[in-house]
Amino acid sequence: MADIATAFGMVFQPYTLSVILLSAAFGLLVGAIPGLTATMATALLVPVTFFMPPVPAIAAIVTATAMAIFSGDIPGALMRIPGTPASAAYTDESYAMTRKGQAETVLGADLAFSVIGGLFGTVVLVLSAPQLAEIALKFSSFEYFWLVLLGLSSAVMITVGDPLKGVVSLLLGLLISAIGLDNPAAYPRFTFGSIELLGSVGLIPMMIGMFAISEILRFAVEPQAKAQIFKKQIGNVFRGLWGLFRRYRLQALRGSVLGTVVGALPGAGADIAAWMAYAVSKKLSREPEKFGTGHVEGIVEAGAANNSALAGAWIPALVFGIPGDSITAIVIGVLYIKGMNPGPMIFINHPENIYAVFIVFFLANLLMIPFGWVAIKAAKRILHIPRNILMPIILLFCVVGSFAINNTVFAVSVILVFGLAGYFMEENGYPVAPAILGVILGSMLEENFISSMIKSDGRLLAFFERPIAAGLGILTLLIWFWPLASRGLRTVSRTRT
Amino acid sequence: MKLSDTVMGGLLLVLAAAIGIYVSGFPRMPGQNYGAALFPGLIAAGLAACGALLLARGLRAKAPAFEFAPWTRAAPLAANFALVCGALLFYIFAAETLGFMATGSLLLLALFLKLGVRPLSATVVAVVAALVFHLLFYKLLRVPLPWGILQFMAGW
Amino acid sequence: MLKLVSRFAWTMFAAALAASSAFAAYPDRPITLIVPWGAGGGTDATARIIGSLLEKELGQPVNVVNRTGGSGVVGHSAIAQGAPDGYTLGLITVEIGMMHWQGLTELTGASYTPLGLVNADPAGVQVRADAPYKNLGDLLAAIKANPGKFKASGTGQGGIWHLAIAGMLKDLKIDPASVPWVPSNGAAPGLQDMVAGGVEIVPCSLPEARSLIDAGKVKSLAIMDAHPSGLYPDVPTLKQAAGSDWTMAAWRGMVAPKGIPNDVRNHLATAIKKVYDSKAYKDFMSSRGYGVIYLPPEEFAKFMAKSSNDLGATMKAVGIVK
Repeated sequence: MADIATAFGMVFQPYTLSVILLSAAFGLLVGAIPGLTATMATALLVPVTFFMPPVPAIAAIVTATAMAIFSGDIPGALMRIPGTPASAAYTDESYAMTRKGQAETVLGADLAFSVIGGLFGTVVLVLSAPQLAEIALKFSSFEYFWLVLLGLSSAVMITVGDPLKGVVSLLLGLLISAIGLDNPAAYPRFTFGSIELLGSVGLIPMMIGMFAISEILRFAVEPQAKAQIFKKQIGNVFRGLWGLFRRYRLQALRGSVLGTVVGALPGAGADIAAWMAYAVSKKLSREPEKFGTGHVEGIVEAGAANNSALAGAWIPALVFGIPGDSITAIVIGVLYIKGMNPGPMIFINHPENIYAVFIVFFLANLLMIPFGWVAIKAAKRILHIPRNILMPIILLFCVVGSFAINNTVFAVSVILVFGLAGYFMEENGYPVAPAILGVILGSMLEENFISSMIKSDGRLLAFFERPIAAGLGILTLLIWFWPLASRGLRTVSRTRT
Repeated sequence: MKLSDTVMGGLLLVLAAAIGIYVSGFPRMPGQNYGAALFPGLIAAGLAACGALLLARGLRAKAPAFEFAPWTRAAPLAANFALVCGALLFYIFAAETLGFMATGSLLLLALFLKLGVRPLSATVVAVVAALVFHLLFYKLLRVPLPWGILQFMAGW
Repeated sequence: MLKLVSRFAWTMFAAALAASSAFAAYPDRPITLIVPWGAGGGTDATARIIGSLLEKELGQPVNVVNRTGGSGVVGHSAIAQGAPDGYTLGLITVEIGMMHWQGLTELTGASYTPLGLVNADPAGVQVRADAPYKNLGDLLAAIKANPGKFKASGTGQGGIWHLAIAGMLKDLKIDPASVPWVPSNGAAPGLQDMVAGGVEIVPCSLPEARSLIDAGKVKSLAIMDAHPSGLYPDVPTLKQAAGSDWTMAAWRGMVAPKGIPNDVRNHLATAIKKVYDSKAYKDFMSSRGYGVIYLPPEEFAKFMAKSSNDLGATMKAVGIVK
């Protein structure tokens, strides 16, 4: 108890609180800028935290990343540019809602369910970090292989319209992920002698190209088209949220659980969690036909999932010093510098620091409500800017955002190429979202497949020999072949009656 | 441009074959039975399967092979499309020499004027927006945007 | 109005001329420090502490920029191609002596202006804490008895830790192919896979394995260095454990593109030496468990040449390059 009191004292003092407030504003800004991710926000904070005591240093990172993952939803909803990869899963859905005149509803839902997901993940982190971390450490390449396949199945599930075209898009994404040198054999593929292509095309420029540039191209050729007209925005950020919460509490819970678990698995983070949650939501929804037309249900589930994943990723990081995602990879370094060496002993050696971190987690998620409200209010103004002024500015925004990732104009060529590709694909009814998921998961899929094959000396049966792997494998195969099996069963039962 | 399933299926089959031929030359990993060719090879197989399905479906549906969107026949709209692409190309080739602020202002100005913004407001907004972007990214977020011809301002 | 504008333009032009001709004292604008690896890794962390300390030495902001991808090739090329004016610096790593043997790039250590070696971390031999081997001798005996059964991981194919264990086995007259390599995207996923029971050995550096060693999940059987590590002084050297003189370490050093003016080079080399000698740097590195070692520019150049030759010989011997 004394430790908890000390911890409160460490957090609720002017210095720490002002660090939290500043990093909240910083996180909101970085998350809302396409090309700058929550990971980038953390990396930019590191030199600043060198000169802070442990608790404010960690508080800065926790607050900034929570805000960034939420605010990544804002440009997605308003301009069809996902601010961070974690928002890509439901960018089209939120943009559709904005076009229907529901920008504040969708942003309010993003905000509220980000807070719920974040708080849920924090509670799990506080209550059962050591136990969950033990489970996460049981994942070898076999388990990851199945997990990635499960994630890929979600691409097909969320495809609106023609599933075959969804699969083509997914395969093209996987093909793009194969570009470059970063493959298990360390052999340059599809690089055609270009040094830049050795590092592949990069997920974020590709995402900016396929979503935002293709949208600008569409505006350029159809400035008066219906799709460009935004209905008058109605509503207030918090109005109707209680109704949403009552209606979708199951979805919110499911998204939070899935997000925490996926987040806790090293290497799988908020982006994958959001995709899987969105797919689960559609699969289990009572009105799956509404998905893709501007329906809030999937946004609720995926929005909760990506914020809970953020807290989940701290589980293996704190307990074993194994990063749950790229953000906690940086955090572990900061923990060492601050003398809070991660490991099971951290809970015994530094209880007051750990409690302080937990308090910061709660505080950051609660602070998201006022900060998010202000951010939404401010950001919504861009819908009032005439489109012929807004669209060129968005174009420049995309240029700078893509440049910022790796500081090279090569990324600008990538957004051009993928902007054209995205425009062409959508013109032909090929959804772009599965291609992006393919790029996110492609290298994980190949790496875990090849590692598993090497480890098992090529025996495919080894993919089912470990208990968790077997469970995940059977689940994946069931999901894939369920439509076939259920059709078969129906035929059988029909012939009987 | 809309392509029928037949054409798209055919294109995918060609792509799959090209990948297949390209990756067949990849070496194996020393001491392993697998190499860099396995994964792209599997993707190519998947693309070929999808291509065949699309081809079969397209042949049954008998849709026109190509269909051009109406804007391709309206010169001002086609020019808009070309201008957006051209603006990005201009940035790619000019940014290093001219610097971000000059390139960005020119890029915005051209698009504004083409999209019908009045010249005075177009100029003001273009310059101010580029300046704000520069301050935000260069100063606050420490993105090393190129200075180009305005290098002398870097020390300010 | 027009007059005013033209006068303004002329003033600007004159100012530009003055700035380019008069050569204000170096440095008069922000410096970019390129890191060929991603945010969150050890190289990134080292670059960020050096960057923030260098900023104080030079009196100008030092922006750390990650140029990732291509197993380091992209970033190493970006550093070499930077303008040789002292405003582009880089933190290069041991891979510079490996990539050219694989034909991935023409670049070698000689493609840069060396400024100073700042860190080196030797490889260790890590196994699961509950593994039945008490020491390296037990492990080697088990490898000899079951060639091909023990898999190792911790970097990509042909990466530094792959070479470390292959070279060690070769030096001990064991066929390197008797421990097949499972490529992984860095030490952390390799360690995770070992703890999960996927592979048996991860020959990464001790600081990379530190949190799992402290958590009681992993143990280190030996360190491939002439001296025991400061982090875990009880872990024996390879010489003590198996009588082999084999050593292997991942190193990091500061460089600039080739051809920077001599006075700028000396200015930077002095500043980096000061950073290296600072308490803040030493404290940071020891809190992360990273090894500190310094070599001035000329010796750093010789060190890189030797490192490249040694690595090339190992890569040929284990069949990674022809």
